[in-house]
Formats: sequence, structure tokens, C-alpha cells
Amino acid sequence: MPSDTAALPRPATRPPVAPGRRTSWRRRKSSTLFVVVGVITILTVFPLVWMVTSSFKGPDEVLSTDLLPSAPTVDNFEYVFSAAPFGRYLFNSFVVSATVTVVALFFHSMAAYALARLRFPGRDAIFLGIFSTLLVTAPVVLVPLFLVVHRLGLLNSYAGLILPAIFSAYGIFLLRQFYLAIPAELEEAAVLDGCGYWRIYWSIILPLSKSIFAALAVLFFLANWNAFLWPLVATTDSDLQVVQLGIASFQEQNTADWQYVLAAATVAAVPTLLAFAIFQRRIVESIKTSGLK
Amino acid sequence: MSTPTTSPAEVAARPGAHRAGDEARTDGASARARRERRAAYLFMAPNLIGLTVFVAIPMLLSIVLAFFRVDGFGGYDFVGFANFERMFSDPYFLSSLGRTLLYLVVLVPGLFVSGLGLALLVRHKFPLVGFFRTALFAPNVVSLVVVALIWQFLLTDDVGFIARLLDRVGLTAPSWLGDPAFALPTVMVITIWFSMGYYMLIFLAGLQDIPREYYEVASIDGAGPWTTFRNITWPLLKPTSFFILLTSTIAVMTGGLDLLVILTGGGPANSTTLVIYYVYQQAFVYGEFGYAAAISSFLVLILLAWSALLFALTKGGRFTHAQ
Amino acid sequence: MPSPPGHLPGLPPGPTSVERPSRRRFLGLSAALTGAVALPGLLSACGGSRTASASDPLQFWNFYAPAPNEDPVVMARAAWMQDTVDRWNAENEQQIELVYAPVLGSEKLATAFSAGEGPDIFLISPGDIARYLNGNVLAELTPYMTQEAVDDFFADNMATRMIGDKVYALPMEIEPLALYYSRPAFEQAGLSEGDLPATWDDLIAVSDRLVAAGQGGLVFPTAQDYYQNFVWYPWMWQGGGEVVTDGGRRSGFDSDGAVGALRLWKETVDLGLTPRVPPASNDIVTSFSEGYASIWQSGIWSIQDFERKAPDFDYGVIPLPVPDGGESATVLGGWAFAANAMGRNPDEAARFCAWALGSMDDDGIARVANWCIDAKRDVSPRRSSLEYGSRAGGYDGEHMRLFRDEIFPTGRGEPRYPPVIYKAVSDAIQSCQLAGGDPEDQAATAAQAIDAYLTTYEGVDLA
Repeated sequence: MPSDTAALPRPATRPPVAPGRRTSWRRRKSSTLFVVVGVITILTVFPLVWMVTSSFKGPDEVLSTDLLPSAPTVDNFEYVFSAAPFGRYLFNSFVVSATVTVVALFFHSMAAYALARLRFPGRDAIFLGIFSTLLVTAPVVLVPLFLVVHRLGLLNSYAGLILPAIFSAYGIFLLRQFYLAIPAELEEAAVLDGCGYWRIYWSIILPLSKSIFAALAVLFFLANWNAFLWPLVATTDSDLQVVQLGIASFQEQNTADWQYVLAAATVAAVPTLLAFAIFQRRIVESIKTSGLK
Repeated sequence: MSTPTTSPAEVAARPGAHRAGDEARTDGASARARRERRAAYLFMAPNLIGLTVFVAIPMLLSIVLAFFRVDGFGGYDFVGFANFERMFSDPYFLSSLGRTLLYLVVLVPGLFVSGLGLALLVRHKFPLVGFFRTALFAPNVVSLVVVALIWQFLLTDDVGFIARLLDRVGLTAPSWLGDPAFALPTVMVITIWFSMGYYMLIFLAGLQDIPREYYEVASIDGAGPWTTFRNITWPLLKPTSFFILLTSTIAVMTGGLDLLVILTGGGPANSTTLVIYYVYQQAFVYGEFGYAAAISSFLVLILLAWSALLFALTKGGRFTHAQ
Repeated sequence: MPSPPGHLPGLPPGPTSVERPSRRRFLGLSAALTGAVALPGLLSACGGSRTASASDPLQFWNFYAPAPNEDPVVMARAAWMQDTVDRWNAENEQQIELVYAPVLGSEKLATAFSAGEGPDIFLISPGDIARYLNGNVLAELTPYMTQEAVDDFFADNMATRMIGDKVYALPMEIEPLALYYSRPAFEQAGLSEGDLPATWDDLIAVSDRLVAAGQGGLVFPTAQDYYQNFVWYPWMWQGGGEVVTDGGRRSGFDSDGAVGALRLWKETVDLGLTPRVPPASNDIVTSFSEGYASIWQSGIWSIQDFERKAPDFDYGVIPLPVPDGGESATVLGGWAFAANAMGRNPDEAARFCAWALGSMDDDGIARVANWCIDAKRDVSPRRSSLEYGSRAGGYDGEHMRLFRDEIFPTGRGEPRYPPVIYKAVSDAIQSCQLAGGDPEDQAATAAQAIDAYLTTYEGVDLA
């Protein structure tokens, strides 16, 4: 059951309304939401339960339609870490995903700030040009990208995994949409104080970006953590293998070891879920003001 | 777009409006404009260079590729428009295009509504909400290989979980993935299942972008949930909605490939061969990169036209009369 | 899906001429474009490129080694690959390096080849070999083999890797198909060994009794891919059907053999005997042990799957049943070593393939035999190795012996068809099996499409 304190808004934002009536209304709303969202969540998560329970099954029953293992075992997890260099895969994926996420957030927000808040000739044309790079279709662009990265001598290197993943119109586009909605007064004040554009970006725009950065960080990290096709094509060195390639290697021809695939996938899901669990609060709770108060 | 009850919303929804007076000042204005321009290019430089090298050039090359016959082994013969001509007399391509249209018409609104709906529900504070948000996002973090496996298990004919469940209430489940009539709808449901948390996340961030005072003002004015949504949330969410509408259209048309490859292989009887799958098949199964490039160039054209239309209708996604 | 006669849409025209002056024009263009932005000194220092001098080791892309994990079976296969390469490296100046490339990602191979950066040595399946042969990318292996060695390979299985009397790939294994059945399921349905199906009618009757008794049904593949065609061919051959006949000039698909096989697969689904999607994610061992299926058409490789995952499970193997008046037939799968003619050192790559699988000395014979009995459970592609493997006891088991003595002799090599023909056949199978198509109409449509393609086809012999 919802507890009173959890259901209450923070004191700072509590509206000046008769407290008693307000509280009961909020409690009712809160428990309705709890039930509705709870039911949706159960339905959504249910399919994943099978993934988790099946990762504790032995090889002979992993694909059975029984939900629970008859003899639960952690062998699969032990195996994934002891028999395959899964730790190494996790490390590689982490290096690539974290680097891409941090650098991309920084670069993308810079471009988005310029596109949303600054005026310069050709702004709309440049934005459309950037936007149109979103329209690439992966299967077709793979060979040309391979040629480019090969030409740059970046195949089989971290740089070859990281650099092509940093640049995407997606983050620029999303951030631009957010910066468009920032009240102009905040910037105006800074301009009057004689701040340069970098200063405005650094001390006004970036602090206002916390919630969208949190959201984008999750999305960027996820996209790179789950990347499969590009790492497959761009690396042959086994020291550079990433998590998704590691999972795929348990699906050998004729002898797919699904119990390992599921255990590895369960392990691989944890970092992004953790990132989301940490960031979700920030996505929703960093309160933005209009600057008018 | 009008927000009758709340005046601050109007101000915020019109960024750039304040600058109208700037044009009048001439003296320092031109120097400032120069500085602004230089700053803008510097801010964009890293991205422009990176996007050019790693996205634009490969993309241009892929369009160039559409005019070549490719043998898949490093042999490239210039063939003019032959690949494009072939496209329009290719029943596989034409039927995949029709299927993709249906897919689009169902999925884009489906993803929008489910994402927004979830975001509106979990933006509030109630017990365990952090857990619920994480759980709703969870399908997204699982690799598509495993997503495909999970659903194969749930949807197995006769002995699968869902077949047994329906059996218990006296219904006979169809073969979800083995019957051409059901396969595409099944793929749609699975796609919504694992994508809705993603769009929920973006909507949540978009909702967060709306200053809280507006809701407080509305609440003091005694506005109900629907009025609040219509007058505050919806108008101020437009930049986000615009983003989602465009990117989900692109994602639905050019993404989701892994799931099709692993779950259905375009079957049964071609019933889940969407354009993107057909492109994939031509490129990697048949080695016909030139033809694949022609089809995907066509997709880029359609999407470009659709985006241009949306941009025109929304003043470049700004929804205002910016200069 | 009707298609206008004379033109086959959606599918490539026949391969064009062999020599192309403009061959590298696109690659040149891409090099120019990227070269312009490549800030050479800065960027090329960051990572190693694969284009290296001829003295670098040749890359051998395979899905066995280095072993991705420590499963004993995976390790045994990887060890065989590693031993073979180590042995070569000890005796030869041109070194070879194994690169693990999961089979799941054929994108990797396709991308590398399109960029002119294909591996020097790789594994290839007959289903895909026609494209490679027509693209002139396979190095000829015959110059590095004795005639005795060429003749040592089972000719019929070898034919799909040859053009005329020239060898372009060497099979490492032969994988015939048969029917597996679950003895517990048969017992519970009151069926005995005497009830095992010998004809198509028997097969339907027995499956019907199994399903009626609450047991699992008969599994044929249903996914739309190369594998389904591969599994389906023997049913067509049994009744005399052919995809391509008359020396490659026309399709033999509009025939009783093809129509009959299409009808068989259609009926088993319509009668509720064959599931539209194979249970347990296509895993025969789980399906048998959980009772989801009772009969399953699969290859000799399933013997090892049972050994690994359910060694105590009691299953049997029988040859594919035949139609009335038909002849026994099965199809022989298996992968082969091939050398890239456009690689860095095609001569040495070809010599390696020929040495690894086609040496007539005792080591060479034993190497091929051991792959098929120790690392895997396959029929050896060479007479001498099959004898060696038999003497070593590799075929003493009930199932291995049956595969060697009864099933393999009725087999034909997996045919090599270009994508267009594969697709025409696949559409016919899919339509009949899963979408209510009429076998006669579908066979006629496919035959028409194949005929249209053959009129313009220039390339390797397909019949």
C-alpha cells in the first residue's frame, strides 16, 4: 500500500490548497495509478521472466515450455564467465558504450545548441542536412562504411568501434527540439551580463539539459551496448569482441547452447537496466523552471 | 496552437520571439551577428566533420551504389537506372512496399500512443514508480536474439504458454508465427512490446521539459486532467511529439531488421517480408548490393518527402514563426 | 505471386561477362572520397589495417576456432582446426591464422567480399557456392591435388564444388538427412518397430496415430530459408522431380515428383501432423525429451546433439520413406574449405586447402577421418578416410552405421542454385506448406520462373 509520505509531493512544490481534501484525493489517484501501472508492468515484464528462469535451467530443458526449472542451477552463469572470456566482452562493450555516450552527449548538445539558439546563415539547411543522415538504412550503408573505416585504417581497433558510433543526427535532433523550448529570458540575462556563447552553453544550457541528458545517456548506452552488426563486421580480433558477439557465439551451427545464451543475455541486460534505474529518477525529477518566477 | 488559460506557456512556446527587436539595432548588431555566426560554426564543427566522414560519405556512396550492378565480390559495373527500373516491375518489392505501409500505419500511432500513455502514467509519484519505470523499459535492454527466442517460446504452437492459456478458456490459438495471416500482426505486437518503453522514456524527458509552474497554475485554476493535458501538456509537448513522429517513422521503415531476420526470416510465405528485410535479403543473402542500394535510396526519398512535409507544416519543428 | 513470363522480377539477371574493365571503379571512387578526408597521418596511426604485406599470415575465417568457449564438443572441433593450421604453419613459410567468424553473421563475409577484402580461406556451403563460382572468386584447387586424391572424394558429393574436372572447394564432411523418431513416443502410442514408416502413406498414418495418442507430431522445417529447400529436395527427387534438368536448359519442376513432394508437406500441415513452427525453437533434443515432437527430419549432426544434451534418450533413425513407385533418396549437406582467388596469396591458400583435406598420405587420410568421427559425427567425404574411420570404430554405433550403410548411399550432393532459383523453389514450398497454395499451380509457377531465368543464365552448370 502507498504510504502517506511517498504519496505526498515535496513540500516546496505543494500547492496552497486545503491540505486535508488534497491529501485524500492524491491518495486515491496514487493507488489507482499503482494498480493500473502495476498490471501493465506485470504483463510487460512477464515474457522476460522466462528468460531469467530459463537461464537457471540445464541444457536438456532450457527450451521446454515449463516456466520454472526442475533443478535450478547457476552452472550457466559460472560457465559464461569461466569458459568464455565474457568479462572481457563486458569490458569492451563498456569501454565503447561509455565513451560513445559521454562524447556524443557533449558533441551533440553543442551542435543542438547552435541549431536551436543561435542565428546564422544556412541554419535550416544545415539542420535538414544533418537530419537527413538519419535516413540511412543499415544493410546498405554497411559496405560503404566498411570501406571508409578500412581506408582510415581503423578496422580492428577501439577507434573503429567508437568513432562511427559517436556521430548520429538522432541526439542532435532530440536535443535541438528540447533547446527550442528553453525560455529565452534565461539566455537574455546572460547576454546582458556580457557572457560569451561558450559560457552560455556551459553554464545555462548544460545545467538545463540534465533530464534530457539522463534520458539520452540511457538510449546511447543501450544502443551501443546492444550493437551487433557493426562490431561483427569491423573486428576480427578476438580481444575486441563485444557482448552481443559473445552471446551470438553460443549459437553455433547445429548446437545452439540456449542456456548459455540466456544466462549471458541476462547478465548483459543488467548494466543498462541499472543505468536506467539510476537515471530514471533524474529524467523525471530534475525540475525545470520557466525562469519567470 | 492556443493556450487560453496559461499565459506563460505562450511565451515559452515561442522561443526566438523576443528577438524581434534585435533587427532594429544596427551598430553593434552586425559585429554581434558575426560573432554569433562564428560561434555557431565552431559549436557544430566536430559533428559536421564526424557526420560527413562516418555517415554522409557512406550514405552518398550507397546512393552511388544504386547505379551499379554489384557482384558481391568487389566487382562494380555502372548500369545507369537499371536497378530502379527493375524495382518497379518487381512484385516482391511492390508487395513488400504494401506490407510496409500497413506496418507503418499501425505501428507509428501504436508506438506514439503507448509511449505517451505510459509516460503520462509513470510521470507521477506513487509507490514503486521507479521500479515500474525500469520494468517497463526492461524489454528494450534485452538483445533481439533473445527477444525472438522468448516469443518463440511463448507463441509455440499448441504447447506454448499463450496457446495453453487460451486453451484453458476454451479458445484455440492460431499459429502466431506460422500462419501468414497472423505473422505480421504478431511481429507488430512484439515490436510495440519492446519499443514502448523506449518512447516512454523520450516522452518522460519531454514532459519534464514543461515547467512545473504551468501545472500549478492550472491546478489552482481548477482545471481537470483532460483540460490540463489539452491546454498545457499537448501544446508544450509538440517539439517532442514531432521528434517521435519522425524518428519512429524512420525506425519503423528502416529498423527492426534483427527481429525479422531471427524471428520470421520474412516468412511464412513472404508475409513478413517488409521492404527493409527485402533490402537486407538482396544485399546479404543474394549479394545484390546495387539493387539493395536502389531500393534503399527510394526509401530515403520517401522519408525525405515525408519529413519535408512535416517540417513545412511545423515551421521546422519549432511550431512558431521563428525568423 | 504471378510474374510476367520472360522476365523474372525481383531477381538479378544472369551473371554478366567475366572480365570487367570497370571492375574497381566504384572502389576507386570510394577511396578517392574517403582519401580526401582521411587526414592520413593522424588517423591511420590509430589502428591496424588488414591490408598488409604478403608475408602476413593468411586469414582463415571459420566458425570453429579459436574456440569461443570451453564446451568439450566446441573444444574438440576447435582443436582439430588448430592442429591442422599449426601443422601447416610448422611446415610452410606462408603462415595461416584462424579467425572465428560466427556463422550467424554471414553479413561479415558478404561485407568483406564486397569491399574487396574477403578472407584468404573460408568455409562455404553448397547452397551458396554458385554465386562464388560465378563471381570467379574461388581459387582452383586441382593443381595442388593428385588425381588419386580427387578420385578419393565421393564424386557425387564433390560435383557441386567442381566446374568440369576442376575442383574449387573441398568438402570436410558429408551430412546426410534422415528421419529421427522418439522411441518413448512410439511406445506410448502403442507403436512398435514394425510400424516404422517405409512409404509416405505409412508416414502420414503413423504420425496420425502419434498425434491422436497425444504425442508430438512430425517436424519438417517451416522457416523460409536455404535450409528448408535443402531438406525438401530429397522428397522431390524420390518421385523423379528435378529443379533443373536437361543439362541445365530447362526446369523439371512442373513434374509429378515436385508436385507430390509439395503435396506431402502441405498435407502434413493441413492434417495437423506437422506444426507450422517447429517446437522448442527448432531444437530436436528438447522437443523429443519434452514430448513436443515424435518424428523429425534432420541430419546426421543430431546424433552428437543427443550425445551432448540427452545421452540417455532413446531415439531411432530411419531412411526417408518413399512414395509409391518412388526411389529412396536423401540429400548430403556439409561445408567445404575454399580459397579466395583475390586474396593476398591465392596460390598458398589453395595449396593449404588441398593439403588439409586432400592429402593422400596417412596423416591426411586420418585428419579428414578424425574430423568426421571425433570432432563431429559425419560421414567422411573420402573413401580412404571413411575406411579409416570405420576401422577406428567411428561407425560402430547403431545410428552411425545406418547412416553410412543405408542412408548415405542413396544421397545426392546438395545442389548449387543461384538465388533466383532458390527463391522460386522456396516460394512454392512456402505457399503450399503454409499459405494454402495449390501444389500443381505453384509447381507450374516456379517452373515458369526458373525457365525464364535459365534462358539468360550464363554461369556454372546447374543440373
